[in-house]
Amino acid sequence: MTRAPRTERIAIELAGVVTPIGQDLEAFWSALVTGASGISQIERFPVSDLRVGRGGEIKKLARIKSWGRVPECRATRLLVSAADEILAHGGLDAVAPDRLAVVVGTALGGVEEGEKALAGDRRRRRRDALYDAPGHNLARWLGCRGPVITVSTACASGATAMAVGADLLRTGEADAVVAGGYDVLCRFVMRGFNALRALAHDDVRPFDRRRSGILLGEAAALVVLRRDGEGTGARLGTLLGYGSASDASHISAPDPAGLGLERAVRAALLEAGVGADRIDFVSAHGTGTPLNDPIEAAVIRRVLGGRADSVPVNSIKPGLGHTMGAAAVLEALMCLLASSRGVIPPTLHLDEPDAGCELDHVRGSARPARPRLCLSTSLGFGGSNAALVLEGAS
Amino acid sequence: MRAPALRALGLLTGWGNGAAAVPADARRAADGRAVLSLGRPHREGERWRRATREGLLALAAVEAALDDAGAGREAIAGERTALVYVTAAAYVPSNHRFIEGRGGSIHFAETAPAVVPAEVAIELGLSGPYSIFIGGPPATLRAIAHAARLLDQGAADRALVLAVEIFEECADLYARSRRLMDAPLVEAAACLWLEPGRGELSVGPPAADEPANHGAGATIAVRRRRSEPSRARGLGETFSVEPLVYLDEWRQGSALGTLELTGRWRSEVLRLVWTEVMASGSSPQPAPSTAAASQEAT
Repeated sequence: MTRAPRTERIAIELAGVVTPIGQDLEAFWSALVTGASGISQIERFPVSDLRVGRGGEIKKLARIKSWGRVPECRATRLLVSAADEILAHGGLDAVAPDRLAVVVGTALGGVEEGEKALAGDRRRRRRDALYDAPGHNLARWLGCRGPVITVSTACASGATAMAVGADLLRTGEADAVVAGGYDVLCRFVMRGFNALRALAHDDVRPFDRRRSGILLGEAAALVVLRRDGEGTGARLGTLLGYGSASDASHISAPDPAGLGLERAVRAALLEAGVGADRIDFVSAHGTGTPLNDPIEAAVIRRVLGGRADSVPVNSIKPGLGHTMGAAAVLEALMCLLASSRGVIPPTLHLDEPDAGCELDHVRGSARPARPRLCLSTSLGFGGSNAALVLEGAS
Repeated sequence: MRAPALRALGLLTGWGNGAAAVPADARRAADGRAVLSLGRPHREGERWRRATREGLLALAAVEAALDDAGAGREAIAGERTALVYVTAAAYVPSNHRFIEGRGGSIHFAETAPAVVPAEVAIELGLSGPYSIFIGGPPATLRAIAHAARLLDQGAADRALVLAVEIFEECADLYARSRRLMDAPLVEAAACLWLEPGRGELSVGPPAADEPANHGAGATIAVRRRRSEPSRARGLGETFSVEPLVYLDEWRQGSALGTLELTGRWRSEVLRLVWTEVMASGSSPQPAPSTAAASQEAT
């Protein structure tokens, strides 16, 4: 079913990423398709007192050789590394600084800076511990003099950032927006999820009978958004719609009925002017926690209806870890690359789909397919639910 | 974009309730106090025993807005109410407490900014669209614009813009920041209740001839009419709540003409221009006389 979209389509022109499985878009994509894993023993900070000490840690930031005046804040450096890939492609060459905006989403901001400052590290600036500090540091590095916005809808932050960035274009506040998400793997967040007993003891297995939890990862992912028909002509795809809804249920657990996620998905479809019958592929949040997966599978099934057994679904979190603020943006990019490259990456470690999680899972190996319209879902603490509807450039 | 109409505003600050409680000279009124605290609202029930102070104050601010509107909880419950939360630093005490392991009992999820509006959403049954902006006054102006857009699109029938800032637990950290030593830190929580309106609303950088910096940190200026000069006020530092203090002050006055709010934070200066702020047929309400929840000094 096709309806009139509620809002203007937004072009996704270019992207830059830094992830545990690759420090540019091509390396990231190759790793996804081949099923490479970025999960390893964490080395950057002590984890010996935690039940689980593994995650998607980036061992060495390889893109940038000299950091110059970039603060020693790791979150900032992840963002700058991702932005460097965009600049390398000339993605912002013709944009006036006062017409360029930066919108980033994060679950943790610069909290690691606060952690280190409180531990007595005098090189750390306390103001960098505020959640909006890395976004402003990125804007300064880019020479951006337009809007600089940080959003924090927990693990749905990346999706929110893309939507807020799109709105800046629609209202004419900017001509180009660097939008995306980031989060670092640090002791603060590892301690937190350790205390929640939410970390997996072995592999992350979304939708699998043996799933036991998440592993965390760190990443930054940025895209350049433009109004449709403007810009350089380069295009990864199009952002058609976004929806959000609050569960109003629990501060850290998803609504058992998934009603908030379903409202977010239906709102995104409505904004896009796309019926659920036209969705070709679903990138699931797919954390691998006992609670999340059956709830999400049920929502996908309700939304897709009779097509639920034939629309491919995947989750890329097993190989990356849950990259929190970056997750939704990486998953959106995966959707667009699947569309243009004609192959859908598999959900790693999904060996035995659980009863209640049955969908057309892409597992084992990548599946040849060229999905045009994609749905990507995100959930986070606080009952945050978000969904994106994307169109590939194929 | 089409502007929303202001239905109600609840404002709690360390000075008292409503803009009328704000002194003319914050530094003098503070009398040497570095932080003007809002205390911890008391609520009965196990659910609230371990709730963060910022979450409790957020709920108190929404209840103050309900009082201001003369409405009950049922008026905002459900999926047609959007909730847009903004803060620069209300999460800092929870983060700090978790890092240091103080109390030993803070739930990790409570360190996330997203949990503050979640507490409100759970208590009042708000299940509509939501968003969370991090930053000072420009973030609040963007939150208002975001709410306006949700209303204009028909994604919601009403929108709450909620801002909270607390400082007391980390007063020592702020004291080491020289930039903020000139003004007292004033804890504040505010909730703006917006509905579809008829005016125009825009946000963007100020005109080139407008002074870009109205003072240190998060200072904001308000103009009742375009022709009036901007003026800064000695409110003290309230970070993201500041625009809502000035908005409350404005509506307690003539509430006529075009409202302009200019906010500065870090390197960004942003101006919001809003016509027909008040819903037709409504008149400015007196400042809320009581907080929704009783407070005990900490």
